[in-house]
Amino acid sequence: MKLGKKNKFNTWNGLTIIILVFFAVFIIFPLFLVLKKSMIDTQTGEFTFTYISKFFERKFYWVTLMNSFKVTVVSTFLSVAIGLPIAYLMRRVKVKGSKIIEILIIISYISPPFIGAYAWIQLLGRSGVITSFFNNTLGLEFEGIYGFSGIVLVLTLQSFPLIYIYISGALKNLDNSLNEAAESLGYSNIQRFFKIIIPLIIPTILASSLLVFMRVIADFGTPMLIGEGYRTIPVLIYTQFMSEVGGDDGFAAALCAIFIVVTLVLFLIQRMVARHYSYSMSALKPMITEKSTGMKNILSHGFVYLTVLLAILPQLVVIFTSFLKTEGGQVYTGGFSFDNYKNILFGKNLSVILNTYKMGLMAIIIIIVFGILIAYLTVRKRNVITSILDTISMFPFIIPGSVLGIAFLFAFSDKPLAWSGTAFIMVMSFAIRRMPYTIRSSTAIIGQISPSIEEAAISLGASETKTFVKVMVPMMMPGVMAGAIMSWITVISELSSSIILYTNNTQTLTVSVYTEVIRGNYGNASAYSTILTLTSIISLLVFFKLTGKKEVSV
Amino acid sequence: MSVAINIEDVVKRYGDQTVINGLSIDIKPGELFTLLGPSGCGKTTLLRMIIGFNSIEGGAIKIDDKVVNNIPISKRNMGMVFQNYAIFPHMNVKDNIGFGLKNKKLDKSEIESRIADILKVVQIEDFKNRMPDKLSGGQQQRVALARAIVIHPKVLLMDEPLSNLDAKLRIEMRNAIKNIQQQVGITTVYVTHDQEEALAISDRIAVMNKGIIQQVGKPKELYERPSNLFVSKFIGTSNVIKAKVERKSDDVYLQFSDGYTEQIRNISDRATNNATVLVSVRPHEFIISTDQDGIKGIVQNNMFLGVNTHYFVELEDGNKVEVIQDAEVAEIIPEGQSISLKVKTNRVNVFDVENEESLIEEGVANEVG
Repeated sequence: MKLGKKNKFNTWNGLTIIILVFFAVFIIFPLFLVLKKSMIDTQTGEFTFTYISKFFERKFYWVTLMNSFKVTVVSTFLSVAIGLPIAYLMRRVKVKGSKIIEILIIISYISPPFIGAYAWIQLLGRSGVITSFFNNTLGLEFEGIYGFSGIVLVLTLQSFPLIYIYISGALKNLDNSLNEAAESLGYSNIQRFFKIIIPLIIPTILASSLLVFMRVIADFGTPMLIGEGYRTIPVLIYTQFMSEVGGDDGFAAALCAIFIVVTLVLFLIQRMVARHYSYSMSALKPMITEKSTGMKNILSHGFVYLTVLLAILPQLVVIFTSFLKTEGGQVYTGGFSFDNYKNILFGKNLSVILNTYKMGLMAIIIIIVFGILIAYLTVRKRNVITSILDTISMFPFIIPGSVLGIAFLFAFSDKPLAWSGTAFIMVMSFAIRRMPYTIRSSTAIIGQISPSIEEAAISLGASETKTFVKVMVPMMMPGVMAGAIMSWITVISELSSSIILYTNNTQTLTVSVYTEVIRGNYGNASAYSTILTLTSIISLLVFFKLTGKKEVSV
Repeated sequence: MSVAINIEDVVKRYGDQTVINGLSIDIKPGELFTLLGPSGCGKTTLLRMIIGFNSIEGGAIKIDDKVVNNIPISKRNMGMVFQNYAIFPHMNVKDNIGFGLKNKKLDKSEIESRIADILKVVQIEDFKNRMPDKLSGGQQQRVALARAIVIHPKVLLMDEPLSNLDAKLRIEMRNAIKNIQQQVGITTVYVTHDQEEALAISDRIAVMNKGIIQQVGKPKELYERPSNLFVSKFIGTSNVIKAKVERKSDDVYLQFSDGYTEQIRNISDRATNNATVLVSVRPHEFIISTDQDGIKGIVQNNMFLGVNTHYFVELEDGNKVEVIQDAEVAEIIPEGQSISLKVKTNRVNVFDVENEESLIEEGVANEVG
C-alpha cells in the first residue's frame, strides 16, 4: 500500500526501530566483538593478524578445517544418495506403512544428532553391543567406529531425512503429465527418471544438500562424542575456548571468524542456487504411487525399511537402555528397572527438565512475537531498513551455535550487559538461533494472503493497527504456529551454544545428556534423552494436528 | 443522498514513470460508471486513487465537492469490492459483513438490523453463519458486495468483481450487481476489461488506454459512434477496411476496392477529396450482395449459430472480414464461394488514417443513434 509520505513516525516505524535495536544488541554487537577480538591483540590492544595466521601455520589447527570439510562432503553426498531414492520410491511405489515411515523419518530428523552419536557408541563403540557380539563370536579385534567413519555414519543417518523431506515436497509438485508425456514419447522408466525427474528436482537437491552441508559442518555434539581424535572446527573452537589452562580468547575469536567466513560463503552459494535454478511447478495431477510386484517390490521395500530402521535405531536404543538396570553407570547388566527415571526425577535436581521447558517457552514467546512482526514488516512494509532487518534475521542460519555462544560470552560478560550465567542469556541464544524457522514460515503465509484482504479491512474503516491485530494475525496463525513448533523442537534439542553458556542453574536436557555421557552415566543419559525425544514427538504430533498435514517444511 | 465524483486533472507517478498524466472525469450522482480498458491501461490505478490506496501526485479528486486527496482511507467512507473478494477467511459471513459496522461503534441492534437487511438485499440470508470456504464463488461475491455497501458508503468501487467467476455465473452476478446498485442508489465506479460486461451493466462508460480517457459515453453511443479507432476496435467486433473519399459537388462518396462506391451522408468536412480513410464496419453492417456490385471476396468459413450465421470472408486485397447474416434470410453460403459485400454507410464509422480520430459528424450521428 502506498500511502502518503506523511506521518513518518507511525507504529510500524517504531517497531522497526525496536527490532533493529534488538538485533543490533543480540546479533551485530556480539559478532562485531568476535571479529574485533580476532584481530586485536589481547595484551597490547593493537591490530594483529597473529591469531588468524596461527590457525593456518600449524597443521594441528588447519587440519581440523580439512576434517570438517571431509566429514561434511561425504555425509552430504551419502545423504543425497540415500534421501533421493527413498523420496522417489515413496512417491512412485506403494510401500506398506508409508505413513508411519514418513513420521519415523521426520522423528529421526528432529532428534539431536549427538544422541545418535551416543546411541551408536552403545551399538558399535569399543564395548558396544554389536561390536562385542562380533568380536566374541568371530574372534575379531574391531575397535569400534570412532573418528571419521563414526561421524559420517551418525550425521548421514541424521541428515538424509532433510533431503528426503525437501525432495519429497518437490516431487509432489511435479506434474505427472510431464512423466506421461515422456512415456508417450517412448522413454522408459529409468530414462524418465534421469531425463525428466532429476533435472526438474536438481534445484531442490542442490538447495537441500547445501542445508545439510551447513548443519553438518556446524555440528558440535557428534564429533565431540564419537570423533575422539578426529577433531572438527566446532570441537576445536569449544576446546580452545574452554581449555582449562585459561582459554585464549583471541585465538578462539579468530577460529570463530574463520568459521563464519566458511559458512557465509556456503550460505551465499545456497541463496544463489535457490534463486537461479528454480522452476515454479504446481502439479495439477501429482505422481501416483503404484503397486509394484516381484523383485522390484521386494527391493523397494527392503531398501526403505532398512534405511528407516537404521535412522530410527538410535532412538530405539536410547529408549530401550533407559529402562535397563544400571551399575556404576554401565548399562546392559541384564534386567529392567525404572532406576534411571527415579534417578533423574527424584535423585537429581528436577530443575534440568523444568529449565528446558521454561526457558524454551520463553524463547518461543519471543520468537513468535518477533517472528510475526519481522515477517510482516519485511513483506508488507518493505523499505531499506526492513530489508536490512530481513537480511540480519537470517544471520543465525550462518552462525554456528558454538560461535554464537562464544560471541554472547564476549558481549554479555561485563556491565552494563552482564547477563552471562543467567537464564536470560540462554533464552536469548535460543530465540536468536531458532527464530528463522518461524520467520520463514510466517513470511510464507503472508505471501499467500492477498493484500486486498488488508485493503478491504481498511476500506471498511479499520485502522492499520486494528487491521493487523484483527485480520492479519489471525490469518497468519497457522503458518506462525507451524514455524513456532519447528523452532520449539529445535530449541529443546539445542546443544552447541547451550554447552558454552549454561551454568548449574540453567542446565538443560541436552546439556545433561551430554554431561552424563561424558561422565559415563549412560543410564541417566538415556532417561534424559527419552524425555527429550518424547517431548519432540508430542510436539510433532501437535504440529501435524495443527497444520492438518503429515509432513514438515523446514 | 448520492454524491458526484469529480476527478480533475489527476496525475499518478511511480518513481519517474508517469502512468496517468492529467486525467479528468465527472461522475454523476447515483450512476454506475465503468472504467473500461485493456490490462495496464491505468483503470485500476485510477480506482485505487479514488479510494486512497494509491497516492495522488497531481490534480484533485472531489467527492461531493470536497477534495479527498489527503483524507485517510478509513475516513473516506467508500466501499470496495475486490477482484478476489478479499473475504476474511477466519470470520463467518455475518462477521465479515459486520466488520465495518463494528468499527463504527454503532448500537448492537442497529448493526444486527443492518446486517439482516443487507443479507436480504444480496440474498444470502441462509448462509449467514457459514465460513467463507463453504461458499461458492457467487455467494462469496455477494458477501463482498454486502460487506462493502452495508457501511452506507458514499461511493462504491468495484475492481473487476466478476473476473473470477465462470461465464454463466458472471451474467447472473452482473444482473444482480446492477439491480442491487439501482436499489441502493449509490454512486458506483466499476472497473473491467470485459467490454460486453461494461455495455451490459453501465449507465456510462469511460474507455481508457495508456492512462488516457479515449471516450466517455453511454454504452450505445460508444458502440455506435466510437470517437476513435481504438474505441471502435475495443468495443464489439470491427472490420477495418480502407477506402477513398470522393467529393462530387455536395455529395460525398466512399470508394472501396473493386470500384465499389457508396454515398455517405454524415461525414465531416475534414475528409478531403481523394483522402484515404479507415472504415470500421461491424459484421452486421455488411450486406451480402446478390448482384456483382460490392467488395469481392471468398467465403473461407461459415458458422451457423442459430440466430444468425457468421462468415469469415477473405477479400481480394487479402484482408479478412467477419460478416453476420440473419439466419432466416437465405441458405447458408458454402465455403469457397465468391461473394460481393455492400456496406451500410449510414451505420459505419470512418476514421482519419493519420490520427485515427472519427470523421463522422456529431449532429448527423445522433440521428442514426
